[in-house]
Amino acid sequence: MAGTMTLPASNTLARPAGDRSHIGRITVIGLVFALLAAMVLSMTTGASGASAINLVGHWLGFGTDDAAVFKDYAVIVNIRMPRMILGVLIGAGLAVSGLLMQGLFRNPLADPGLVGVSSGAALGAVIIIVLGGTALAPFTTALGIWSLPAAAFGGGLLTTFVLYRVATRGGQTAIATMLLAGIAIGALAGAFSGVLTYIASENQLRDLTFWGMGSLAGATWIKVLAAGPIIFVALAAAGFLAKGLNAMTLGEATASHLGVPVQRFKRITIVAVAAATGASVAVSGGIGFVGIVVPHLLRLVIGPDHRYLLPASALLGATFLLFCDALSRTIVAPAELPIGIVTAAFGGPFFLWILLHRRSAFAW
Amino acid sequence: MIAIDSIDVSVGGRKILHGVSMEAPAGKLTAIIGPNGSGKSTLLKALCRDYAYSGTIFLDGRDIATMSPVEIASLRAVLPQSSNLPFPFTVREVVAMGLTAGRPGVHPRALQHLPEEALARVDLAGFGARFYGELSGGEQQRVQLARVLCQVWEPVISGVPRYLFLDEPVSSLDIKHQLMIMDVAKSFARSGGGVIAVLHDLNLTALYADAITALREGQVVASGRPEAVLTDSVLEAVFDVPLKVGAAPRPGTPFVLPQSVQLTKSMQVA
Repeated sequence: MAGTMTLPASNTLARPAGDRSHIGRITVIGLVFALLAAMVLSMTTGASGASAINLVGHWLGFGTDDAAVFKDYAVIVNIRMPRMILGVLIGAGLAVSGLLMQGLFRNPLADPGLVGVSSGAALGAVIIIVLGGTALAPFTTALGIWSLPAAAFGGGLLTTFVLYRVATRGGQTAIATMLLAGIAIGALAGAFSGVLTYIASENQLRDLTFWGMGSLAGATWIKVLAAGPIIFVALAAAGFLAKGLNAMTLGEATASHLGVPVQRFKRITIVAVAAATGASVAVSGGIGFVGIVVPHLLRLVIGPDHRYLLPASALLGATFLLFCDALSRTIVAPAELPIGIVTAAFGGPFFLWILLHRRSAFAW
Repeated sequence: MIAIDSIDVSVGGRKILHGVSMEAPAGKLTAIIGPNGSGKSTLLKALCRDYAYSGTIFLDGRDIATMSPVEIASLRAVLPQSSNLPFPFTVREVVAMGLTAGRPGVHPRALQHLPEEALARVDLAGFGARFYGELSGGEQQRVQLARVLCQVWEPVISGVPRYLFLDEPVSSLDIKHQLMIMDVAKSFARSGGGVIAVLHDLNLTALYADAITALREGQVVASGRPEAVLTDSVLEAVFDVPLKVGAAPRPGTPFVLPQSVQLTKSMQVA
């Protein structure tokens, strides 16, 4: 990535050459404001003409038309707000799981969507959607609203674990093995999902189709409650992995020589990836490419130091997803595009661009 | 003192080390020599706990199997044979990774500039902003050494010695930097730290080692002071080549020994 990255000349006396931590800090602060702006955008755009400004004005005592404000209140608090919160959590969750996988596999092309983890999580979710009312009724009764995210988490965990066992030998991951194993695991999970789709009822089929395209449209406070805590815990855990991820780029053995408890580190990373991906997939279906586009863009700007890459990815992932969601709501309004289509429209070409510009020096 | 007490190591079902014992005291540079496949690197990997072993390895009297990764990282640093990085880190960022859990033993204020000092010590001053992936193999090896030095910067902290494990530290370096890096290792030992280095160059070994352990087919053939190990009979037994120690080639045939640099230096002094 040399050449795309120039270090500013200012203040170089105080700052050692090659130390990019100041760029990382500035980027993280900038992204906090970008996310706040995206949250406002998300609260104020939508098919209905509901105005968040009128609502805030009403709360501050300026409102006059109580009936209109009451309708706006319903739209904003019951529809847009949970959608916005889910967008933030899922965007952050997907971007951070992509980053964690790239660090774990020591490869910038690893992404839960590309290597079958999302398919595994989706299989878990499909099982609950199709069999939750019948064969798995005890499970869904016991776990309630958490049964869908829990099943997706389980599916994601299983696929990540299998993938890691297959693709990593002696601490080294071969990119070809990883991608091929991902394809095989994804195909297998897809086949099982296909069988379940085949036996699904008409209503379940419709649910499955819309869910699979990826959307935040069905966001409710229930879904926020179901997926939110899981993603939040995964993000919080990821915060402690930054130094270990940096050391892991030198290889497993060297990371351990540097004092990283490698086995425990890998277990935590795999569980965090599966939790964030699983919970995201459970409530929003397949939203692709966030996990690969966001960390990659940020690496171009601030470098690969995970101490800044982790918070920046969470912030930019959330911002990017809210932005795509706002687009999906307005492009064909009053109808809306599934958000997975929007992220894929951005992510697909971007991914091809990465492949065209990759440098052999970085062993991709 | 690193004390290895009759360890066996098997890799992939094949037994590589057979009852290897050796000692590497603090304050000394201990070299491990032997032909390809004799188990030198395997021995070092067992020392680093990368490979499972049977037997015991003690670090200053403590069984290393009972120590935590962080604790060991504060007492010894390891230079690997080669490292490639999947992401575009700058040289400085790589060197600063040595501070992950290590214990440099310097004042917190000096810590910020420790990577620069370490880079200067391996003759890479001013390389901080370069990208690691764009350096030559020899430069990358020196960057890794700078990272390793950061981890255990002070050879001794309040009376407790620290150790450097070096796996072929000069394998891809030119002669100037071979000598420079061996000087760094030697001065670490002179200051009270311990160094274990896997070396291929017998002349460099003769020049720098305080003690030598020679391996062949996973067993210790000889160990002791350089003059005891670097003998015709031991070298032939270890390397299977009829070498003559101290024999100059026929007059008129050029030969260059790293020892000659010291000779020149001492002549200049005289």
